Amino acid sequence: MARYGMALDYKSCINCKACESACKEENGILLGADKHRIWVGVKDIEGIFPDLSISSSGFEPSQCQQCDNAPCQTVCPTNATYYDDNGVVRVNPEQCILCTYCMEACPYDARYIDDRTMTVDKCNFCSDTRLINGETTTACQATCPTKVRIFGDLDDPESEISLVLRARDHHSMKEHLGTKPKLFYLT
Amino acid sequence: MNFKKILPYNRHTFSSFFSFERTPLNVFMLMLTVGLVGFLLYGISVYLQHGHHAYGVTRQHPWGLLIAMYVFFVVSSTGLCIMSSLGHVFNIKAFQIIGKRAIIGAIIAILTGFLVIAFEIGHPVRMVIYNVLTPGLTSAIWWMGTLYGMYLFFIILEFFFLNNGNHKYSKIFGLAGLIVGLAAHSNLGAVFGFLVARPIANGVFFPLYFILSAMVTGSYLLFLIYGWRYKMKFPPEVKKFMVTLAQVLGLLLAILIFFEIWRALTAIYGMMPERGDIAIHMITSKNFLIGEFLLGMLIPFVVIVYSRGRAIKTLVYTSITGMVGIFWMRYDLVHDTQLAPMMPLKIREYSLPPGLVEYTPTSIEWMIAIGAIGVSFMMYYTADKFFNLDHDAKGH
Repeated sequence: MARYGMALDYKSCINCKACESACKEENGILLGADKHRIWVGVKDIEGIFPDLSISSSGFEPSQCQQCDNAPCQTVCPTNATYYDDNGVVRVNPEQCILCTYCMEACPYDARYIDDRTMTVDKCNFCSDTRLINGETTTACQATCPTKVRIFGDLDDPESEISLVLRARDHHSMKEHLGTKPKLFYLT
Repeated sequence: MNFKKILPYNRHTFSSFFSFERTPLNVFMLMLTVGLVGFLLYGISVYLQHGHHAYGVTRQHPWGLLIAMYVFFVVSSTGLCIMSSLGHVFNIKAFQIIGKRAIIGAIIAILTGFLVIAFEIGHPVRMVIYNVLTPGLTSAIWWMGTLYGMYLFFIILEFFFLNNGNHKYSKIFGLAGLIVGLAAHSNLGAVFGFLVARPIANGVFFPLYFILSAMVTGSYLLFLIYGWRYKMKFPPEVKKFMVTLAQVLGLLLAILIFFEIWRALTAIYGMMPERGDIAIHMITSKNFLIGEFLLGMLIPFVVIVYSRGRAIKTLVYTSITGMVGIFWMRYDLVHDTQLAPMMPLKIREYSLPPGLVEYTPTSIEWMIAIGAIGVSFMMYYTADKFFNLDHDAKGH
């Protein structure tokens, strides 16, 4: 069994949104502005022309942070949210009662309601479409033209992600909440 | 087996059940109840066709008016249970007359709360199944729901024994209902208090505040229930009870105002992001200033202090404003908890970065939320017809 995580070389992101499209296509996500598993956050340029701060702008690709201590899992009253054998936080739609407490508890706004199953859905690192078939890539990673995303086994010291995390500075989002995310932003 | 011996009740024919004194107030209440239940049924019919799309809830604001209304009803139930326990569990004499009426009110309120939440939870039947099969023991919702189920069971038994005059068992189940009710209700506070991602809600405040505000709610409801029962012509023992209740309510309101002041000060102090800014938004909003503070706390408090608790008729009327205030307390606690966006960056072109999350309940949400009050009126009328809810000569 692996412990999957993702490193994001986010400064290379060009906000082409190919990852968002690939995710929707791969996982059959319904159309609609609020129906997305992943997204790219945009930091606007600060300042007033002509004194604009170019360094303030940028893109921040994001999704479920696959926390090791996930608040969404802790609050689930029926254990519909669970950690699978690969450490991926997933939702069993058969058990989800749509109380939306997980949406309330997630610090990253990573969950949404899937109108097909009328349950809460989220990124699962393409577990149903790729990992289950033995592939070790995700749709968003495979499609990224600037190779922002590095996906792999955090427990394997020789994996690309382990190597890059040892070599480069990185941070995670809202680390102070103790959620222990498995998404790492390379700086 | 003679069921009537076990649980005394009044026999009714169809026409005697619907017969009542045709006073303007009674006719108004009948029309109000029918109107509210009509709203509820229409709201439910739209919800059953469109699901959550009939509501104004969003990805960023998944909990809306119906959650607030659920909290409103279960707070009312716990409040009535706590206040009635002052009499038949803790033997405070003035409160001993309210047992049956307060407990039937508690049963009705929680059943109405369950009715409302059934149209908010996406899969209520699945909830009952998986609550048992795969319990999430770290979830405050699981504990809250399970304990409220037990609480309902205990207070039904309490009512049963109160009605057939078995004071020993009514006391035992009253105490059990009180303890489990307090546990359930503080867990409901913890549903919000456990949200580590939302600093404005996270912490010990809500579990404590829920118990306190439940007692305030229970007191308002008792004023309304007894004002209605005796149509402002109170017998001496009821008058004595209401004056005592007013004095207790005055103390509770003073503590509640004290709590609110320190909550606001600690939230604003240091202006911690997602806490200080949200707190300022909260306490400067009309919902808080007019709804919560003026109607829910200040007006009843001033009446109590000014009259030293003796203006019980005025307090019956101010309990209406009090309950409106309590409603806004529930609405605000749900809405304000979700004000800060969890994703602070914009994700669409030609838009501004997310500000405070907005939410407006749809007409369907209002219909279900307010319409449910009609169901509680209907259940109260039925209970009043079938059971003798008045105290006996011994004051029980």
